[in-house]
Amino acid sequence: MSRMPLPTERLVQPKLVGYDPTRPKPWLERIAYALFFSALWVMVVLAYGVVPTLFRHFGWMKTPLGFAVFAAIEAVLAFLLAAVVALILIVVLRKYLGKVQERVGPMHYGPAGVFQTVFDALKLLGKEDFAPKRVDWLIFRLAPAIVFVSAFLLMVAIPVAPGWLIADLDVGLLYIVAVSTLGAYGVVLGGLSQGNKWGLLGAFRAGAQLVSYEVPLAIALLSVGVFAGSLRFTDIVEHQYGLWHVVPLFLSFIVYLVASIAELKATPFDLPEAESEIVAGYNTEYSGMSFAFFFLAEFVELFLLPGFMVLLFFGGWHGPLFGLDPQSFAAGLLQSLYFLIKVAVWVWIFLWIRATLPRFRDDQLMDLAWKGLLPLSLVGLLVAALLRMFLEVV
Amino acid sequence: MRGPTTIAPVPGRTDEMIINMGPQHPATHGVLKVVIGLDGERITRAVPHIGFLHRNHEKIEEARTYVQIISYTDRMDYVSGLQNELPFILAVEDLLGVEVPKRAQYIRVIFFELFRIASHLVWLGTGMLDLGAITPFLYTFRDREKILEITEKTAGARMLPNYFTFGGVRRDVHPDFFKDVAAFLDFFETRLPDYYALVLDSPVFQARAVGVGVLSKERAIARGASGPVIRASGVAYDVRKAEPYDAYDELEFEIPTRPEGDVYARFWVRFREMEESVKIIRQALEKVPKTGPYKGKVPPRVKPKPGARYRAVEIARGHLGTYVVSDGSEYPHRIKHRSPSFANLQLIPDLFVGARFADAIAILSSLDPVFGEVDR
Repeated sequence: MSRMPLPTERLVQPKLVGYDPTRPKPWLERIAYALFFSALWVMVVLAYGVVPTLFRHFGWMKTPLGFAVFAAIEAVLAFLLAAVVALILIVVLRKYLGKVQERVGPMHYGPAGVFQTVFDALKLLGKEDFAPKRVDWLIFRLAPAIVFVSAFLLMVAIPVAPGWLIADLDVGLLYIVAVSTLGAYGVVLGGLSQGNKWGLLGAFRAGAQLVSYEVPLAIALLSVGVFAGSLRFTDIVEHQYGLWHVVPLFLSFIVYLVASIAELKATPFDLPEAESEIVAGYNTEYSGMSFAFFFLAEFVELFLLPGFMVLLFFGGWHGPLFGLDPQSFAAGLLQSLYFLIKVAVWVWIFLWIRATLPRFRDDQLMDLAWKGLLPLSLVGLLVAALLRMFLEVV
Repeated sequence: MRGPTTIAPVPGRTDEMIINMGPQHPATHGVLKVVIGLDGERITRAVPHIGFLHRNHEKIEEARTYVQIISYTDRMDYVSGLQNELPFILAVEDLLGVEVPKRAQYIRVIFFELFRIASHLVWLGTGMLDLGAITPFLYTFRDREKILEITEKTAGARMLPNYFTFGGVRRDVHPDFFKDVAAFLDFFETRLPDYYALVLDSPVFQARAVGVGVLSKERAIARGASGPVIRASGVAYDVRKAEPYDAYDELEFEIPTRPEGDVYARFWVRFREMEESVKIIRQALEKVPKTGPYKGKVPPRVKPKPGARYRAVEIARGHLGTYVVSDGSEYPHRIKHRSPSFANLQLIPDLFVGARFADAIAILSSLDPVFGEVDR
């Protein structure tokens, strides 16, 4: 019998389109990320530093017109910041997942694929925003807006450096609890209004999950408030000079960490949108920009929840100032940079968790919330109160 | 395949939602449709519907010559393609009375076990994807790629190589073959601990898998389950031991079993099977004659004498048998495939009812059906 020739090697080499992963250009990628981070920093400095400082310095906010102008500018800036945060975090998530999974991630648009999200957003903008016939139209359209606005409103409360904030709320903690709960309404209503059974299941799961995680989350925040003696973020950060809250309030920190992952609907707790179980959950029927708003909100929260964690437990903007006056503008620049770096580290940890773990089941998640985290958060509150009492006596 | 396309709602019962899972559901591994009654997240009823991938294999095969049929058998369980060729080939070899040379037998064993590892890797990746972990999928597919490259080097094709033939294998292995396989085994043994850590030892996975979808020994036997599914229910049934074929009676290996019968046990059994496969391939690499014919004497026109023969092998999913009826012509009179996933799929109503919806996904991925083979 005659032998066929052996295929010793591939006759046709696979064509590498755009980027050759065997010839990586890490420096290009790093420069791109450095530019990204700088863009984020510039946005933060503009929105939290320059504009509010100017308005306060010249006293323009005292007139109603000045206040309206301030609010309008800040709204635009905060929206741009939210967009920048989401654009950066989505591509960072995809590149990071690629790294974890030993592949290269997006590679085509921009150096090393860093503009992938920009093109994704453009694609979503151009898509038909389709709604099936049986949706409850008003609620269906309102839900993504509620979700996004709740994430967007949270940006107002963050101070990034002493005096660098949009609104110095004296009930900052209460505000974030209230506003972030609003987002749960958007998710539940979005799932319920679309007339799809998977969406309905997703809405049930989202409702159950978000409600049960808000309680321990709120108590963890409360214990920080009790320990610091104030609900104002600025006071809480000031209170951490000397010792970051993560040490005395370690239990509350753990509760906050777990609950914020659940709040984000990220991997171990991504039941409301578990694609292998309930297809896409609450956003099954959404397309185009409506879908993009859910997505955008998710990634803005991925920035904000670590942001609050840094403010509450990791000393906010604390860092070496090299003899600068903490109230000066130069110190503000430096301190907002410290804040952003701490947030970036926590975002990285969140992404790491997302890349590693499988998903919990719905009842296990509820068990964890009500039987695990809630008692733990109450103990954390007790510890905070006792420590506070002890410190006041001494 | 005609039948009720949905289950009827119970009159007066409003707390039950009837939902179609599939055929385009992300976690149904192809084209399974399960009509599920849901009470909240609890499954009250489950009716599987199959046949979406029916390609009429058995009828088509009656109109093909014996050699042509081999490439059809590949396409039943396409995840472990090469393994599916063997029962048909063994049956025809029996009818022909062909002697298979030792070297060919060992080459078959090596490929057979490589494809078991490849298939279990696909199962592990997609199964963990169903459980919400995205990373194992990429890891296992990368490892599987190495097996497919080894296959491509020797057989010329990757997934469906059409490589085994009557009396042995179609052509001799590539000169690098044994070296490549040994290198792959060394590599794979460094990967396995990672999979254990990422999957079996992960507390989140254990919470999802332990005590879920329990299948009793009696139920498994009654439903005709086989493969890792029945071995995870405590039945040490493995065709490689029960009716050894090729060189399996000269090789030492264990049949991993576990008594629990839950999802975790089924995952565990498949993990241990990958280890056993590594052990088998290592022995085969030592014992395989380095020279010699790779194919026995087979007449150019395959015309088995009239008669019938049933042969079975243990593919990655269980007991795959092929019944060949020959009337002495070049075409078989009748061919019947007994496929493991089809039998295992009968367990769906047993295992789904009473479970939570998320459990159903875990149970389905632990049954590991491949629809090319269920529907044929």
